[in-house]
Amino acid sequence: MPLNMDLQAFNQRILPVQGRLFRLAQMFLRNREEAEDAIQDVFLRLWTNRQQLESYQSVEALAVQMTKNLCLDRLKSHDKQKTTRDADMVAMQAADASPYRQAENNDSAGLMHRLISELPEQQRLVLHLRDVEEYTLEEIEEVTGLSNTNIRTILSRARQKLRENYLKAENYGTGY
Amino acid sequence: MALDIKKLLEKYYDGDTSLEEERTLKQFFQNGDVPAHLQSHAAQFGYFANARKEQPSLTFNHELALMLDPPKKGPVQQFGGWLIRIAAGLTLLVVGFGAGWMFQSKQEGSEGLMALSGKENAEVTEMKKVLAFEQMNSTSASERIHAVNQSYDISEADRDITQLLINTLNFDPNVNVRLAACQALTHFAGETEVKEALIQSLAIQTDPNIQISLIESLVAIREKRAVEQFEQLARNQEVLDVVRLKATEGANRLNADV
Repeated sequence: MPLNMDLQAFNQRILPVQGRLFRLAQMFLRNREEAEDAIQDVFLRLWTNRQQLESYQSVEALAVQMTKNLCLDRLKSHDKQKTTRDADMVAMQAADASPYRQAENNDSAGLMHRLISELPEQQRLVLHLRDVEEYTLEEIEEVTGLSNTNIRTILSRARQKLRENYLKAENYGTGY
Repeated sequence: MALDIKKLLEKYYDGDTSLEEERTLKQFFQNGDVPAHLQSHAAQFGYFANARKEQPSLTFNHELALMLDPPKKGPVQQFGGWLIRIAAGLTLLVVGFGAGWMFQSKQEGSEGLMALSGKENAEVTEMKKVLAFEQMNSTSASERIHAVNQSYDISEADRDITQLLINTLNFDPNVNVRLAACQALTHFAGETEVKEALIQSLAIQTDPNIQISLIESLVAIREKRAVEQFEQLARNQEVLDVVRLKATEGANRLNADV
């Protein structure tokens, strides 16, 4: 059964990446269920296009790109839904901010997660790939298509920005 | 050590650390004894290390496998399914025809119609053998019930068979066999001796099931001579209430039948 073999081969190539894709999606979507849903979608797309997979140098890089794009798409459509649902966005955000953020600030992991998600999209991705997933610069190049120096710059900015925001949040929290 | 870390941190925020150096940093901040002035960096590295441990839930893999499997099977199996269905249909037809043909030729060839009466005779002797009084200990109850039920196939009762059934009704140690014999006897209730046997048996039987069954049979065949026996039963204090009620009812119905 060649088709069966195909599924096996597919699983062998894709399943080891599963955890990474999941963490990436979780970083973007900040929700376990939604992240699982998103990477399920990614796997399905990869599977339906499995014939073309051979022509890609790195399936992992492709999968990471797909996950990133899918998550950003979902975030955008979420935002749109929010805007259309509630005209009074400012009021909603304000109402949403205090209890939710306070709860998140209570544990530093939640705070970090929030601060990372407030970074610009590119910084977020590069920081996650490097500092969480421990990608080499070459691997990040492959995923993002950015140059080596560019990646270093973005990484540096992301790290500094994250620290800056963290200190701000902490002082704000303790000063209160 | 702390100096090294400070240098590494500078390098880190400039985006110039190697993966190796970053791992050193993570390890350093994961350990409990971080100097106070470096403490503010700990949350960041702690977060990275923890985030790396996150995994999709256990059910996820299962769901994924389920999701990926159907598209694989979809178009291919349908085609195979058609072939298999046609093949199965043909096989079934062939087997059916084959079996029918073989069965028919066998009947025509070896046994034929004349054997049928012989078969019935064989059944009767078989039945007699199983129900014979001296056999009662060596045969199982279900075997005897089966033998009793064979009497339904016999079109004309002969004395031997009815007598055998009456014996079974009166003396078989198993209630269910007696019950079966009682029911079988109602088929031969046209015979006078069977009627008498049923009435007599009612006096002997102690099991309420059989008593009721006998009463019903006697009422069904409108055996007027049973009325006396019914009334006796109805008066008997040792008999179960239900049976006595049934007996009274039976007596009334037979009396009303005039």
